[in-house]
Amino acid sequence: MESDAFSAVRQQLGGISRRDFIKFCSVVAAGMGLPLGAGEKMAEAVVAARRPPVIWLSFQECTGCVESLLRSNHPTLEHLILDLISLDYSETLSAAAGHQVEAAKAASILQNKGKFILVVDGAIPTKDKGIYCKIGGKTALEILNETAPHAGAIIAMGSCASWGGVAAAGSNPTEAKGIPELLPGKKVVSIPGCPPNPYNLLSTVLYFLTFNKLPDLDEKGRPRFAYGRIIHECCERRPHFDAGRFAMQFGDDMHRLGGCLYKLGCKGPETYANCSSISFGETGTGTWPVGIGHPCFGCSEKGVGFGTSLYTLANVKGLTPPIFFSEAFPNTPGVSGGIKSMAMGAGGLVVGAAGAALLTGLGKNDEGEPPRGPEKKGPGAQHKEG
Amino acid sequence: MMDLTNYIGPKYNDFVQKLLDDRQTRYLGIKLITPFTVVLVLLICAAAVVALYRLAFGIGAASNLSDAWPWGLWISFDVLGGVCMAAGGFLIAGAVYICGLEKYHCVARAAILNAFFGYLLAAISICMDIGRSVVIWKALISSQINSIMFIVAIHVVLYTSTLATESSPMFFEKVGWDGARHKVSRCMVGVALFGVLLSLLHQSSLGAVYLIAPGKLSQIWYSQWIPYCFLLSAIMLGLSMVSFETILTGKVWNHPPPRDVLSGLGRGTLIAGILYLALKVFILLDTPGLVGMVTDGSFLGNLYLLEMAVGVVLPIVLLSFKAVRNNIHRLFAVDILVISGVLLNRLNVGIFGVQEFATRSGGDYFPSAMEWILTLGMIAFAILGFKLCAKYLNLFPQHH
Amino acid sequence: MPISRRDLLKGAASGGLLLASGVPAHATMSTTLPPNAVGFLYDATLCIGCKSCVVNCKIKNCEPGGALYQEGMTKPPYETKGPGNSGQWDETQELTGKTLSVIKVYKNGTCQTKDAEVNGYAFFKQQCMHCITPACASVCPGGAFKKDPDNGSVYYIASKCIGCRYCQIACPFGLPRYEWDRAWPEVRKCQHCRHITKKGGITACAESCPTGATVFGKVTDLREEAKRRLALKPGDEYQFPIQTVHSRNRQPRKVARYVDKVYGLTEVGGTQNILLSGVSFELLGFRKYLKNQALPELTWHYIAKIPWVFAGVFIGGTAIYKITHRKEGDKS
Repeated sequence: MESDAFSAVRQQLGGISRRDFIKFCSVVAAGMGLPLGAGEKMAEAVVAARRPPVIWLSFQECTGCVESLLRSNHPTLEHLILDLISLDYSETLSAAAGHQVEAAKAASILQNKGKFILVVDGAIPTKDKGIYCKIGGKTALEILNETAPHAGAIIAMGSCASWGGVAAAGSNPTEAKGIPELLPGKKVVSIPGCPPNPYNLLSTVLYFLTFNKLPDLDEKGRPRFAYGRIIHECCERRPHFDAGRFAMQFGDDMHRLGGCLYKLGCKGPETYANCSSISFGETGTGTWPVGIGHPCFGCSEKGVGFGTSLYTLANVKGLTPPIFFSEAFPNTPGVSGGIKSMAMGAGGLVVGAAGAALLTGLGKNDEGEPPRGPEKKGPGAQHKEG
Repeated sequence: MMDLTNYIGPKYNDFVQKLLDDRQTRYLGIKLITPFTVVLVLLICAAAVVALYRLAFGIGAASNLSDAWPWGLWISFDVLGGVCMAAGGFLIAGAVYICGLEKYHCVARAAILNAFFGYLLAAISICMDIGRSVVIWKALISSQINSIMFIVAIHVVLYTSTLATESSPMFFEKVGWDGARHKVSRCMVGVALFGVLLSLLHQSSLGAVYLIAPGKLSQIWYSQWIPYCFLLSAIMLGLSMVSFETILTGKVWNHPPPRDVLSGLGRGTLIAGILYLALKVFILLDTPGLVGMVTDGSFLGNLYLLEMAVGVVLPIVLLSFKAVRNNIHRLFAVDILVISGVLLNRLNVGIFGVQEFATRSGGDYFPSAMEWILTLGMIAFAILGFKLCAKYLNLFPQHH
Repeated sequence: MPISRRDLLKGAASGGLLLASGVPAHATMSTTLPPNAVGFLYDATLCIGCKSCVVNCKIKNCEPGGALYQEGMTKPPYETKGPGNSGQWDETQELTGKTLSVIKVYKNGTCQTKDAEVNGYAFFKQQCMHCITPACASVCPGGAFKKDPDNGSVYYIASKCIGCRYCQIACPFGLPRYEWDRAWPEVRKCQHCRHITKKGGITACAESCPTGATVFGKVTDLREEAKRRLALKPGDEYQFPIQTVHSRNRQPRKVARYVDKVYGLTEVGGTQNILLSGVSFELLGFRKYLKNQALPELTWHYIAKIPWVFAGVFIGGTAIYKITHRKEGDKS
């Protein structure tokens, strides 16, 4: 029996079956590492009557993060923004423009105080009071400070919003900063990457909508389900690293055979992200930089991406499990078992022989004194020089 | 005796008849087919099989040796032990032919033959222990004068030939080749001198083999004096072995052992023992901390104390009494003490003394069954060979 | 008395004296660095345990002329399965008759910090050290180990080997390994990729090392580089050379904290491969009681006495013989 709410949504979603919908939610839940029941909970949250509002602010960005979002499949973008969330403001995707869209944003903020999700992409320049990025006559800094206090959750999408990214690269002429740095007291979720995998954002948003709290974050505010491990740990070329098969030059034999790209400067060993696990674009395995033959440059990691040369060797974080190396010097103390038994045996034989010899031999009285002269000759003995 | 004239012709038949004529030694009462002999033959056959297996499949297949333990039972016991047990040969030869101590003449043949078998045992064991047995001759032509092994190899070959030469008179005498026997007798002195020289060098060189490994051989045995320790303990053991086998053959065969010879051998062992003990005490005092190392109850310390107590101290104490030196049974007991003690010393240097490096690197060693079989088979070969020679050659000329 | 005996003794005594006079006063093995001595500097703080050196060493040495090459070999040899050995050819755990160089690890506690002695880990490359006065070359009875007089690499001539394994006993580091599983075995150890270096190339390990932990070069240059690194402060940035010590290809990295010692300058008379490390060398397996003296000298002290023994025994023996048989001569 279908519930009323679900029938209504079903019409809205153009006849998607209940099974497919639950499947979608279960897949997302599984992707986030949530227990089995969470999928259904998510489904319920999504079909709630009111679509949760999202306001998307864009500052010093290249729009790559939005482009990344456009390429998601589950949900597709139209399902997302038409049926799942209410995207009240987005510079790229809003149909309206100019004063109208600004008014819509203000209205949404007013109406949804404390409940809307604020997603920010792009860094914010702070030099000269932030005049290097102005939208609708206001500086990025002002816009942020107007909007952020009223948001229910703040998500920094992309490396630029998370820690400055390419905008803050080199000498950082505009003194661009990431959102967490500009909102020191507030809890900001960072989804770094250039661009990040869209599902990192989508899963975080859905999690929030379902459980009304943010997923487990690390000390930099990044969700652990996506940023808890270095790329090196899950990389498909890791066995080549462990066995020393490196590409030395682009196009050489080992490069063609898919060897490890560490020598070409891959920053996988010091970058926290899940690119090696879920790739991009869902066209099969290997659709990520290393998979197609270029070393990772650490785009999501502050200090690595846009900070070090592409071809400088990475600092490897994390030892390859010790079982693959034998110990330099086991330093086993004492005496090994075989030798001990051998020594016991030899010592025992010596003591036994000595004891037996002494006990049987010492006491015996010899018949007579040793004669001084030649012995009595036995039969058949002959005088022969030897 | 079977007449083989029809098979091999009269000349060879004559040779074989003479060789297998045991009337001279019948008084000894040596029986060829005894349970003991059967056991010896079985052991020799088993050892032959093991030797073939080892040649076909390599040392790793036949033994438990490994990179952490490259030398094991075969080197320590067969080679080191076998060579030092054969030291009696050069001592008696030197005593008789150089120093003119004629009273030892009656044990000379047996002692030299025993030494010959001892060296054969060692030489065959070396051949089995090295990986490329067929090219062992390459060690003799390489002129590697920096290598003690080169010197040892040359010595072994020369000395085995020397022993063969020294043993040949009794063989020539048996088969009636008087001309050959005469020629050998004439240069016997020179040969004996050569043998003394080679043996002195050889016995100490085996100790010098370990000079290159100060980090591996425990300080308890390692010192710059190790070649002289080996030499003195070999002299001690050699004299004891001659005494031991003289008394033993006297017990199992009808051959009364010459008592003054045994008494003299006992005195020789005592003197060698005192010198050896003096050297060992000197080393103990000369090396700082060594006394503590041997008395602290550690694994190696205890082995050292055992070897010194059984092989040196106790025999010296006992042999200092005339009542012991003049009593065959007591001498026999002391000989067993010396033999066990000195052989333990060789095992200590070859295996136990080098265990620390191997154990700390994670290695372990216990000889495999095949190693035991080959070792026992080699010893059986020496015993059986001696027995055959005692039966068919005049080993004990009764002119004493 | 027959003349021949006397003559024999005379000849022998004089021969002994002749031998004694012809012996050089010092060991015949050189204790100085050859003119173009080469080696590599292994810096354990730069090593990331990738084992590229292990793999490439195997690949390059399975070419004709290489240390692992056997007739008809088409691919590197697989390890024999054994404790800790996976049976793969490129995942070796230990030096063996099929592996010339191996990376091992020192680990302690939680293994969290690289090059820390407590709760840390460090990598270590184990292979022949190419001693300046190699014990293995001095003890080989067949002369199978030779030290190149020009570049000092210690190499192996299989045709002279008899398989006695004295080299395994003599090597203070326990490095030569034996082919226990073959009926016609060889001893295997690093030979500085002789077939490549003789043509002017560099060792496979140095060529493939991505971080410059192993750099190849002349020993004098390597020693200078090592001293230079020890003089740097931990945390400074330094341009570490890759592949060769004078390479233009350099990688900037922060200098780690070194143990203040270059291993191989004086140990056992000096080695051509030298090491730097962040943890004490003892923890990496280098035993603390290795003398700073070339080991062959220890044996040479004994061998140099041998001709004197010859002379002494012949002269002394002849004298004793004359004395004890003089009475006989008088009698007869």
